[in-house]
Amino acid sequence: MTSSPSDTETQETEAQETPAEPEVHPLQAFADRVAEAVGGSAEIQFDTVKVKVAADDWVSAHQTARDQLDLVFFSWLSAIDWANDVASGDRLGEAVEERIELLTALSNVVDGNLVILSTDLAPQQPEIPSLVDVYAGANWHEREAYEMFGIQFDGHPNLIHLYLPDSFIGNPLRKSYPLLSREVKPWPGTVDVEAMPNANDADEPSTENPES
Amino acid sequence: MPSWVTDLFSNFWVSLTGKLLLVALLIPLVGMVIGFAEMKLSAKMQYRVGPYFAGGRWGWAQLIADGVKFFQKEDIIPTDADRPVFKTAPMLVLVGTVALFVVIPFGPNLIFRDLDVAVFYALAISSLSTIGILMAGWSSANKYSLIGGLRAAGQLIAYELPLVLAVVGAVILAGTMSLQGIVQAQIEAGYPYIVLQVIGFGVFMVAALAELSRIPFDMPIAESELVMGYLTEYSGFRFLFFFLAEFANMFTLSAIAATLFLGGYWLPGVPDDVLEFAGPIILIAKTFLLVFAMIWFRWTFPRFREDQLQRIAWVWLVPLAIFNIIATALLKVIL
Amino acid sequence: MTIDSDAVRHLSEASVSVELQTEDMTLNIGPQHPSTHGVLRLVARVDGERCFDVHPVIGYMHRGYEKLSEVRTYPQITTIVNRIDWVSGYANEIPFITAAEKLMGLEVPERAQYIRLILTEMARIASHLIFNASYPLELGAATPLFFALRERERVLDLLESVTGGRFHPNFNRIGGVKPAYASGSTTRKLLQDLPAGFFAETRVAMDKVLEAVDELDALVADNEIIVARTKGVGVLPPEVAVAYGVSGPNLRASGVAFDLRKTEDYLPYDRFDFDVITGENGDCWDRWHVRLLEIKESVKIIRQAIDTIPSGDLQAKVPKVIKVPKGETYVRAENPKGEMGYYLVSDGGQGPYRLKIRSASFSNISILPWILEGILVPDIIAVMGSLDFVLGDVDR
Repeated sequence: MTSSPSDTETQETEAQETPAEPEVHPLQAFADRVAEAVGGSAEIQFDTVKVKVAADDWVSAHQTARDQLDLVFFSWLSAIDWANDVASGDRLGEAVEERIELLTALSNVVDGNLVILSTDLAPQQPEIPSLVDVYAGANWHEREAYEMFGIQFDGHPNLIHLYLPDSFIGNPLRKSYPLLSREVKPWPGTVDVEAMPNANDADEPSTENPES
Repeated sequence: MPSWVTDLFSNFWVSLTGKLLLVALLIPLVGMVIGFAEMKLSAKMQYRVGPYFAGGRWGWAQLIADGVKFFQKEDIIPTDADRPVFKTAPMLVLVGTVALFVVIPFGPNLIFRDLDVAVFYALAISSLSTIGILMAGWSSANKYSLIGGLRAAGQLIAYELPLVLAVVGAVILAGTMSLQGIVQAQIEAGYPYIVLQVIGFGVFMVAALAELSRIPFDMPIAESELVMGYLTEYSGFRFLFFFLAEFANMFTLSAIAATLFLGGYWLPGVPDDVLEFAGPIILIAKTFLLVFAMIWFRWTFPRFREDQLQRIAWVWLVPLAIFNIIATALLKVIL
Repeated sequence: MTIDSDAVRHLSEASVSVELQTEDMTLNIGPQHPSTHGVLRLVARVDGERCFDVHPVIGYMHRGYEKLSEVRTYPQITTIVNRIDWVSGYANEIPFITAAEKLMGLEVPERAQYIRLILTEMARIASHLIFNASYPLELGAATPLFFALRERERVLDLLESVTGGRFHPNFNRIGGVKPAYASGSTTRKLLQDLPAGFFAETRVAMDKVLEAVDELDALVADNEIIVARTKGVGVLPPEVAVAYGVSGPNLRASGVAFDLRKTEDYLPYDRFDFDVITGENGDCWDRWHVRLLEIKESVKIIRQAIDTIPSGDLQAKVPKVIKVPKGETYVRAENPKGEMGYYLVSDGGQGPYRLKIRSASFSNISILPWILEGILVPDIIAVMGSLDFVLGDVDR
């Protein structure tokens, strides 16, 4: 149980006053090693090591991570739906290539080094081999990704709904899936971000319920 | 006693009715007192106060209130349940308990019926409750009840054997199976049989706890696993029967243990005429001592698993009891 | 929350042929059950007392946190996140706030960090105390619960005096913790940060907590029946544990000395001296005992933190409308139940674009089908209880 390499405060976020040489992030060596072993490209964003691999190398990358890099701890698997049209919530500031980005987080249990492996899937019919044979814990996480995003995991022993009822249709975490209550009643929460009301201001946001 | 009273009660039917009424009165009374004791004692052990409001600061009326509450509840029987069996089960359990009161000697002449085979009768009739529990578990049409009933079957039958064997030692020492006779034998010997029968007493108490399905042997009920085991589907006054039967059974088994091992209604140094009216008080005091121990165990220990329970019965209690019998027999022959 | 009902019906009608033609029975443990810590449903196929396999069915408490956080602002999400694992409410807010602060490049003042640390350790004590007390209750011993809950009340009172809430503190703000302003004042004059007498009361409470821990140790740990029910039951080998993502005391009880407080820097744990408690066998007894000893370590940390807490601001300077710049990060913390992490994807708006919540209990109970195979029915309860999960944490 060793402590982390050094305290990684907000070193690399903003421009430092120190001149010249760019600071090397303490996790850079680890990131490069992982990227080289699994055959992907690494980047460090805000102290998080993220390695992007091709979808075809998905299972082999995890196998390499588990066997050669000692990343035996399977933390989680999930996805991000990069979409330009959103049914609820804020739109993206600039347009992106529409895709489903699949993420897994693997960790070392000795020094706590964590890496996020990611790959891109087509947004219409996302399909990828299952990781159940590599990490047994991927079972439930893949079921959740299946029901929330509609990703098909080939080779999964029991790909059925985890949280949602049998009869549920749709993939809730997709950006195209609306939060229904928003369609009925506009969200009054924007009032909260304004200044604290003074003594005379006792208005409630209007909550007119349509008579239906 | 005025002569017209003795003449009245010498009539068989009158005395029978009187005894029945007395037993019918005793059961709820004993059940309520012991239930209340359990509530207050457990509260004391857990830094709580227990019943506080019913009947003034002592809360003594709590059990009366509970009894009334149970009686006025709706009688719910599951649709798929086997109705005749479901209704009969609590009655059988209560009968098995009530019938034990008949042979307990409360004083030199205070006994409902002095049977020559009292010990045999007591052990045989207490196993009637086992049948009642099995009926309850089976007829409830509920998987949890079924598992509870299965566990009860295994446990209660397994612990019958140590229960029976443990009393054989006391019977050998006394030379009679009549409970009144055993107390007389202890009076003549001058010491309670626990002095020679420590092992027998221990085995009897452990087996009694198991027969009552109390923690640490309450697998058939196992509140945190099986909801209420075989009692799950019972509500209202049927549940009250089980409830009362458990507490009354605690009393009767402890009373039998007190009679067999602790000297019953007798204390050394108390003359015979005092025993006539002090006898019941002495017996009840000894019984409550044992009941207190049972309550204490219930709130201290967790419960055994079914296989560990069976192992205790067959691997530990039965050989101990048999050893006890052999040792007692040798002792009787030598001394 | 569904199971493949055709498969289960088929399984339940299958008969096991031994000498007697016995049939096995499908037993539903839960969702309403005294021992499932919430609405968890286990569909168990049992034959007598032996259980063949178990399918957990979850989702009865799914509240849609991840979708919800896409339509909320950061301060609003802070108020709902502590409801994920409600037993240790304060600890859930920390990794989320830290992730947002990391993306904004904020430096949290030291005093605020110390306060966060103290309150997180108090949440850990509260969570572990209620586990250590209610686990014997599942085995039948009713009394330790009352002893431990008495002392837990002190800790919760302390939490309430600082944050205003026992279970849902809502105390963190982006950039620090919430300062207490003079009420009724429009000029925002800082009145005080921690309540008067907080440190003295904390010292008293920590002494009492240690007493309660010793009481539990004496009453429960060596009790023959507890030992018979929990030693050797539900053994979790470390390789299986890491493959399933089991974390926290469950993992440490299996012998893996992995504690995120030592390896991560979301709070200044490196300034304090405490041990990582591991167990030997990975059975239920170890899981119970590891948490009991961790309470002692938390008390140690709190005492050290109280003695060395610096003075200073409670919150860094933040704009009134908080917009977190574009970026992605994953922050993980050692919650009482295990590893809790938030993968925050921000697009520069007032709320996240995607917030993935990694909750400890979800991974902890994904191991149930593996560990409950071929086990006795009473041991199902013993093992389930020893994993210490909370349904809000499982279902989010």
